[in-house]
Amino acid sequence: MAILEIRNVSKFFGGLAANSDVSFEVNEGMIMGLIGPNGAGKTTLFNCITGYYPPSKGEVVFDGKRMNGLQPDKVCKLGMARTWQKVRPLAKMTLLDNVMVGALCRTNSLKVAREMAMEQIGVVRLEHKAGFLAGGLPIGERKKLEVARVLATRPKLLLLDEVMGGLNPAESEDIIKLILDIKAQGKITQMVIEHDMKAIMRISDRIVVLNSGEKLAEGEPQEIVNNPEVVAAYLGTE
Amino acid sequence: MKSFNNRLASIRGAGTVKIVGVIAVAAILFAFPRFVESPYALHMMILFFLSTLMGSSWNIIGGYTGQYSVGHAAYFGTGAYTTMILLTFKDIPPWYGVWAGVAAAVVVALVIGTICFRLRGPYFVLASIAVAEIIRVTALNLTDLTKGAEGILLTDIPPFMIGDTILTDFSSKVPYYYISLVLALLMILVTWLVQNSKLGYYFQAIREDQDAAHSLGINLTIWKNAALVISAVFTSLAGSFYAIFVKFIDPTTVLPLDLSVQIVLISIIGGIGTIFGPVVGALVLVPLSEMLRSNIIAQGLINSGLVSAESATGIFLKEHLAHAHVLIYGILVVIVILFMPEGVLGFFRTIVARKRKGAA
Repeated sequence: MAILEIRNVSKFFGGLAANSDVSFEVNEGMIMGLIGPNGAGKTTLFNCITGYYPPSKGEVVFDGKRMNGLQPDKVCKLGMARTWQKVRPLAKMTLLDNVMVGALCRTNSLKVAREMAMEQIGVVRLEHKAGFLAGGLPIGERKKLEVARVLATRPKLLLLDEVMGGLNPAESEDIIKLILDIKAQGKITQMVIEHDMKAIMRISDRIVVLNSGEKLAEGEPQEIVNNPEVVAAYLGTE
Repeated sequence: MKSFNNRLASIRGAGTVKIVGVIAVAAILFAFPRFVESPYALHMMILFFLSTLMGSSWNIIGGYTGQYSVGHAAYFGTGAYTTMILLTFKDIPPWYGVWAGVAAAVVVALVIGTICFRLRGPYFVLASIAVAEIIRVTALNLTDLTKGAEGILLTDIPPFMIGDTILTDFSSKVPYYYISLVLALLMILVTWLVQNSKLGYYFQAIREDQDAAHSLGINLTIWKNAALVISAVFTSLAGSFYAIFVKFIDPTTVLPLDLSVQIVLISIIGGIGTIFGPVVGALVLVPLSEMLRSNIIAQGLINSGLVSAESATGIFLKEHLAHAHVLIYGILVVIVILFMPEGVLGFFRTIVARKRKGAA
């Protein structure tokens, strides 16, 4: 069953079409990969889905509800959470406080929020850093903080915007395991933007390729790798 | 996990010490007028409580939520004018008028918040200044209601009665002392409650990163307005208190930009986003501005023998130093902001933390 439907979504900035006429569906429980060269409109599409921009045309349907025009906080309450390409830790708050802010989306009690937060901090294995200020954590741990923080909002759909960007191979491997663990639990559908091709091919059930704002291809990882148009978009043609 | 729980426990232990400390200080302050009768001393204490109240109110929206409103005179003036107008023209006693002032300030806060919170960073600061100026100019020109630049002078306050018993007739400074003390303590309690609830987490999340906060389910408009309303309620109480205490208000004393800046400085100098920062700020600023104004510094220099009273320098200092109090005040503020960016409280905390680290 499709948890997310993108129907003919376009987003214009003045005369520039950052997304034009993009359509696809994300089925419950799967990992959908979203790839494309720089400037293809991946993050813009995330912003349209999560309420940061209203789409210029088309509609986004999540869990049977039309999302157009809903603010990001409403989107989060409905069960769709996103991380940021450029990490956004709440720098002067501790790791625990950061994750608690996410948990407070579902509860008014600090005590309950603290328990929910510790559970998610356990999932990303950062218990030993819970009392540290978020601003002082290294990049790999800040990325994990973001994942723990969005998990604490109890999402049905998780949108991860380049969670492996800037990480070393060992840290990337940690994140890949984390994403696959979340999938194995079976409760959360994921959509992942990623530049690391090896990683995205490994984790995705399906992949959508964007190029210059348009959908270039969609299919299983193996089909995508062998698609001549995708290869041309990435490597250029003779 | 264990070390984390230990740390939590030690934080709670420190909390108990702090609570006992606050209660002890509060008890001393409540007993203070029994031992000190000097009206001047009481006056200084009242100014200290009033500054604490104003600084702590601003701290909620500026320190915790990170929205630097430089227009808090608007709420101060709204409270002061509402209470004063009701008392002088309608004979409504101030202990009822104050609540009308609070209600008016809440309305003003919601109007200002709904408009200005669409803006971020420096644009919000400018908008908050502009709205406060609009209110000042309005008060200046609505002469039927506010008597404009002439100001409103209060001749007498009805005695505060419950049933037939007169609690106080406001003839000395003592009742003002207790009212301002209770208000200041109440504000500290409110700050503590905010910090230890969902409000505090959401306010600080908004301060640290609005977009991240928004994506975590925080409705920015609602929560920013909530912070502003809490702040405005207590600033308005401060304004009402000031009006009754000084018994005269006009747009240049309760609505000027100076006042808005003053309110911000109490919090910034003490240390923003902390419960006791504004208390420390008031503790620094109130005596400082009084010393400069009353020429204690020039007198001290002469008495210490550093400068002879008859010399040209001595005469010059005696005549002009008091007039330059705003200038010196400004320079000191710049020095504090440059060398103690976390405020006086933050500065001492860093020193203590460093010493502890050295000891360990």
